[in-house]
Amino acid sequence: MMKQWGVLFKKEWTESVRNFKWLWLPVVFILLGVMQPLTSYYFADIIENFGGLPEGAVLDIPPPSGAEVLAGTLGQFSQIGFLVLVLAFMGTVAGEKSHGTHLMVLVKPVSYFNYLTAKWVHILLISLSSFVVGFAGAVYYTALLIETVPVNNVLSGGAVYALWITFIMTLVLCLSALFRSTAIVAFGSLGTALLMSVLSMYTPDLMKWSPGMLSSHSQMLFYSGDTGDGFWVSLAMTIVLITGIMTLTIYMFNKKEVAGHTE
Amino acid sequence: MSLIETARLTKKYNGNAAVDTVSLSIREGVCTALLGPNGAGKTTTLNMLTGLIKPTEGEIDFNKNYAGDRRKHIGYLPQYPKFYGWMTGEEYVSFSAELAGLSKKKAKESTNKMLSLVGLEEDRRKKVSGYSGGMKQRLGIAQALVHEPKLVILDEPVSALDPIGRREILELMKTLKQHTSILFSTHVLHDAEEVSDDIFIMKKGKIIIEGGLSELQQKYQQPAFFIETEKAMDNWLSSINEKSWVRQSKLDKKKLTLTVEEVDTARDALLKDPMLHKLKLLKFEVAKTSLEDLFMKVMR
Repeated sequence: MMKQWGVLFKKEWTESVRNFKWLWLPVVFILLGVMQPLTSYYFADIIENFGGLPEGAVLDIPPPSGAEVLAGTLGQFSQIGFLVLVLAFMGTVAGEKSHGTHLMVLVKPVSYFNYLTAKWVHILLISLSSFVVGFAGAVYYTALLIETVPVNNVLSGGAVYALWITFIMTLVLCLSALFRSTAIVAFGSLGTALLMSVLSMYTPDLMKWSPGMLSSHSQMLFYSGDTGDGFWVSLAMTIVLITGIMTLTIYMFNKKEVAGHTE
Repeated sequence: MSLIETARLTKKYNGNAAVDTVSLSIREGVCTALLGPNGAGKTTTLNMLTGLIKPTEGEIDFNKNYAGDRRKHIGYLPQYPKFYGWMTGEEYVSFSAELAGLSKKKAKESTNKMLSLVGLEEDRRKKVSGYSGGMKQRLGIAQALVHEPKLVILDEPVSALDPIGRREILELMKTLKQHTSILFSTHVLHDAEEVSDDIFIMKKGKIIIEGGLSELQQKYQQPAFFIETEKAMDNWLSSINEKSWVRQSKLDKKKLTLTVEEVDTARDALLKDPMLHKLKLLKFEVAKTSLEDLFMKVMR
């Protein structure tokens, strides 16, 4: 059983090594991560040179704090980073279904649990690794150019954000397993992420439980080392939701027909 | 004891039965053909046997001697096999073997054996995406056989191939017959006649004819006469049609195919018939109808 899981995981791994996902996803995150401290640092210069300010105007922008820069980095990850991750993995099951490559795999004595969780773990591994290297880049340049943020704040904030990524990528796997169209997967997961973030921003009291609160909790950790109200509720709820989505996905995938009606 | 049996197997899509109360019995150690036109429900039937589709009604029983997940004992080649193109042929077969539970070492051994069986040793390290149609079909057979299944199910294994590829696969199937039981679907009677021992003919979701090949041939090959004359046969034919030894007649302009009960009686009667001589015989031939005629008849 475990052995079969290993075989399936190794297939996923080799596939993303050969199509260079293991290269370009981390590269995208490193670029995003490094860009934020660099632009913050050179912001005043950039405005001065290219901003078209009237002659003689004095620009006095206070340099951002280290925590602000890290929070801004997460903002980049949440927008461009998520888009890239979702596009990279929306076809993980849906693509196999529309090509038909899943047939000869699932006709073997393969457990659907293994098939889906091997993909899940692989997606998380590559997404979180990309996040870690990108975030490390951001932290390094922030410390170099702006100021150091306490290590504990950085680590705890990063860990909380990693859980938010885990939630979104679990959703991607779920939609990919249940639908054949990659467009549904992309819109569904990005839409959910956006909706949850927006709702958390505008009605934080109603959304205490929501995984969408996690990114604001992680930002607060950078600033103060403390989380906001309701952190534990949203943390627990996110873990419950991740487990629930995975269980439901495996259950529904078992019930669905593997082969469609062809004739 | 049969290898796999189905009882009143039915699959409905939106209320329409794609497969309708099919009861099959596949014998161990033989090659069985599931024959029928496109849309007869062959693929759906095979997919239910493999477990890729769940039956709406009915049961599937695999031989009790082979316990556990039925998929362990089945090797399957879909009609249009789709591989991970980024793998090499060798990697794919070995991946399949390990999925089926073979140890790494055994998977490697079995992969080597299968690749040489299907003649892909030289291309084993090429990416599957660069394989030709025939090579993919052979690779598909290799992955279906690599875990030494009790039953190999091949869905239209030759229909997408050119004549040479077709020949290769049919020859390969003849070799496989020695080692394992085969169930394959086809819409070409000739392929079924060439390699199979048992034949099931399907039409509109139902099995309409079943039996051993030689048994069917004997049963449905009837003695027949091909007669050609210079003059029109219509009038004469209506008198002949009333005779008790005539089964069926088919007139195509001045060519007549006459299926009869028994050759000798019919030949005597025909040759003694003065009416026939007046029509000026051009051709008088004793022959047999083939399974093809039967097949064409039921398929219409």
